[in-house]
Amino acid sequence: MSLENNKQVGPAAPPPRLRVAGIEKRFGGVHALKGVDFEVARGEVMALVGDNGAGKSTLMKILAGALTSDEGDFFIDEKPVAISNPHDAGALGIQIVYQDLALCENLDVAANLSLGAEPVKSGWQFLPRILRPLDDLEMEVRAQTAIDRLQVRTLKSVRAKVGGLSGGQRQAIAIARAVGAECSVVMLDEPTAALGVAQTRQVLDVVKRLRDTDHAVVYISHNMRDIFEVSDRICILRHGANVATWKTSETTADEIVVAMTAGLDNGANNAA
Amino acid sequence: MQPNSPFSPVERLRRLRETRLGSFVPVLLALAAIWLYFGIALPLWEFWGDQDATSIRFIFLSPRNIYNLFMQSAVIATLAVGITVVLLLGEIDLSAAATAGVCAALLGVLVLAGIPGWTACLIVMAVGVAMGAAQGLLIAYVGIPSFVVTLAGLLGYQGLMQKILPTGNLNISDPFVRAIARILVPDIWGLLLATLLVVAIAALALRRQAERKLRGLELDTATTLWGQVAFFAIIVFAAVLTMNAYRSVPLLIILLTGVTAIVGWVTTSTPFGRSIFAVGGNAESARRVGMNVKRIRVAAFGIVGLLAAIGGIFGASRYGSVSYTAFAGGSLLLESIGAAVIGGTSLFGGRGSVWNAILGALVIGSLGNGLDLSGASAADKLMFSGAILLLAVAIDALSRPAGNGQR
Ligand SMILES: Nc1ncnc2c1ncn2[C@@H]1O[C@H](COP(=O)(O)OP(=O)(O)O)[C@@H](O)[C@H]1O
Ligand SMILES: [Mg+2]
Repeated sequence: MSLENNKQVGPAAPPPRLRVAGIEKRFGGVHALKGVDFEVARGEVMALVGDNGAGKSTLMKILAGALTSDEGDFFIDEKPVAISNPHDAGALGIQIVYQDLALCENLDVAANLSLGAEPVKSGWQFLPRILRPLDDLEMEVRAQTAIDRLQVRTLKSVRAKVGGLSGGQRQAIAIARAVGAECSVVMLDEPTAALGVAQTRQVLDVVKRLRDTDHAVVYISHNMRDIFEVSDRICILRHGANVATWKTSETTADEIVVAMTAGLDNGANNAA
Repeated sequence: MQPNSPFSPVERLRRLRETRLGSFVPVLLALAAIWLYFGIALPLWEFWGDQDATSIRFIFLSPRNIYNLFMQSAVIATLAVGITVVLLLGEIDLSAAATAGVCAALLGVLVLAGIPGWTACLIVMAVGVAMGAAQGLLIAYVGIPSFVVTLAGLLGYQGLMQKILPTGNLNISDPFVRAIARILVPDIWGLLLATLLVVAIAALALRRQAERKLRGLELDTATTLWGQVAFFAIIVFAAVLTMNAYRSVPLLIILLTGVTAIVGWVTTSTPFGRSIFAVGGNAESARRVGMNVKRIRVAAFGIVGLLAAIGGIFGASRYGSVSYTAFAGGSLLLESIGAAVIGGTSLFGGRGSVWNAILGALVIGSLGNGLDLSGASAADKLMFSGAILLLAVAIDALSRPAGNGQR
């Protein structure tokens, strides 16, 4: 496979909103990430592809603060930052839809959408925040707004327990939780894996809308058609290491699949 | 999500238990069945079977017996409220009764040494929190399963209680401590308090409904709204009137209700309580949204410790003495866990309520009381309690959400 130079995405690309460099992660004996570089700019959809076990979810969890990296540097708008827990990521405007959704089935939709950031009623300052009364009506209002924005028509009530919902509805709630929050970076880890055609279309529409509203979007999927429809760039991981980052308009699905499975023979290292 | 296809009975049960009032239904049915059996069926049976009997004697349902039933169940209920909190997390506490025993023994020794009753109570409550939180630290930070840690706690605290009470028994005559179980609230005050409570609940419900309307949220139907208020009113007034018919409402019951209300409020209406449910539902999700799962676990075990201490104080006050068998060495632990589970709190975490624990304690208390009255042996009592507990856990297992089978 030959690579033309203009395929590579170099310094000409827009300055990234979020950039990480040299991310290392080991789980005991498993070297899951081997010095991975990654970036995503505002107004761009960066697809992240790789075989199962390539380290995509691990990278996303590190960016979301759910895992801590063993080594690596984080930059927001090229300023160094630290992401060591989910609060850090949230404060930096990073939101994630986990591959396993990370919902609490015993709680209702509204509670899940505010999980970890529950609004409390004002005027109880003498109590520590965690013991102030929850503003559950505000929670419902927020949930309703987030759900309405996503246009999940099948969801009848935000007071329904998540345990009783369908896979598609749960997926929608996980997405609503991420995009409902104040954020600039949204990462979606295989959001369409459990969805039918119509629901997948809705998710792709959400992704495009996020890009059009100047968010930085990371989109993980195994579906090449979807990736070529929504993404601007594609970052390929293999065995926990970067293979390449290409502009979507300048590559093909076949080329991506080969790079995902076999890597690049000529060792071209062209990660942006 | 709305039911639009026929559901199996199990599915119906599951849905019923998801609603606020619905979760009370199984335990209320159990209570009603026990009361009907011991209160009406058994006396009638004996009357008809006995030629010489001149009148039916409804001993079980007499105000006097119900009063005693409430008092007998109070200690179980207090511990069950605490145990409910850790069950919500998906953990278990086997040491609660032993903690209560240590705290009661300490209380007896402290007041004997001349420390004022109220100071002794505060000290003992602090000790209870420390005993619970210490186990919580081992569970959360060292990662030992709560079953093992609290089993060790059960043994260790039983030993500790024997060290504090070498004779195994200590009378408590401190007026402050005794007053908790002795003081009766005058009849009229009891009724006034009940009325106030019901009015407050109704006012809160109406205000909430108005706020919902204002914010354009979906409204509860009038039936649900007034059904909840009526349900609450019936329970409160029935309890107060029954106790008034024999004596009056004891301070102990009011304290128990107050403590339960506070724990109930914390678990359902604060971010901390929400995090308890979240951890019980999916600990990894809770961690990923930034909740400090370890600290929440420690706090929850601190709360059981506190409630165990309060249970110890209540017990010491009611019996006027502390004995090894009444707490650590007896059936209190299993009765409390049984009460929490019979109340409908899931052993699998994330589902339940402290109010249900009170009803569960009444079920356990009624069963023991009724069997005592009908002259059953201790062996019968144990077997009946076991059967009821098994039934409650079976209902719990059956009503778990589908697709959640493994843990
Ligand atoms: N919590 C964990 N403990 C141990 N190994 C893990 C853990 N999470 C991921 N791994 C390993 O790290 C590698 C990358 O996994 P993952 O990031 O989930 O891949 P992907 O999302 O690309 O399919 C795999 O080999 C996986 O087994
Ligand atoms: Mg993955």
